Amino acid sequence: MSAARPTSATVTLHRALYAADAITDAAATFGDFAAFAVHPQGEHYVVEIRDIDREVDGDVVAEFCNFALANTAIRRKSPHA
Amino acid sequence: MSQTQIDTLDAATSTMTLSLDMGLYPRDVLYAAAYVFLDRAYVLLDRVDSRYVVHLRGKQKLDETALRAMAGEFSNELLAQALRLRVAKANQKIIEDITTLAIAGAGGMPSGDRDPALVDLDQPGEDGFLDDPLGIAEPWEAKKKDAAS
Repeated sequence: MSAARPTSATVTLHRALYAADAITDAAATFGDFAAFAVHPQGEHYVVEIRDIDREVDGDVVAEFCNFALANTAIRRKSPHA
Repeated sequence: MSQTQIDTLDAATSTMTLSLDMGLYPRDVLYAAAYVFLDRAYVLLDRVDSRYVVHLRGKQKLDETALRAMAGEFSNELLAQALRLRVAKANQKIIEDITTLAIAGAGGMPSGDRDPALVDLDQPGEDGFLDDPLGIAEPWEAKKKDAAS
């Protein structure tokens, strides 16, 4: 089943909703499982993900997005957090 | 009509897209609500015109009923977080004051500011502290000595 997974993907994250350093931190977290390249394009950060490790148990791209969101939310330091 | 609405729903892939009015919920509320769902769903946020778009995909297989239930829970979480934010803002000053007092109390006052004595030692009787009309403060040994002699 894991062989059917793509080894590359492109994700667009809105610049108003995701912090750049939160994305780079998430990319560093998953650096052992894929190669990440981030660049701004219009209103979005475009994240190109290549060489995704097929042997990894789990969805690297989706987990990366969750990490980027969690990092952003934590960085916002909401007063009620 | 609906402030939070299901735009797409696909039970085959356990995915769903919600959208909500940006003017209704602050961004921090959206983050807080989304954060709650990170352990059971993959969440991707986006913005289209004046609406936030929330893409959700269950980490486990979810049928249509479960997806609709999740959409309802997300809406509830938005409301709960909005209220939480409002209460936190309303009590911000009180929280800061209490925290300041607690920290100051734990650290103790600087020695220069400390009141040297609560009782005026020159005239202790005026403070009422040394008034002892019933003789309670008299040492027990002294009483026994008097009784023995």
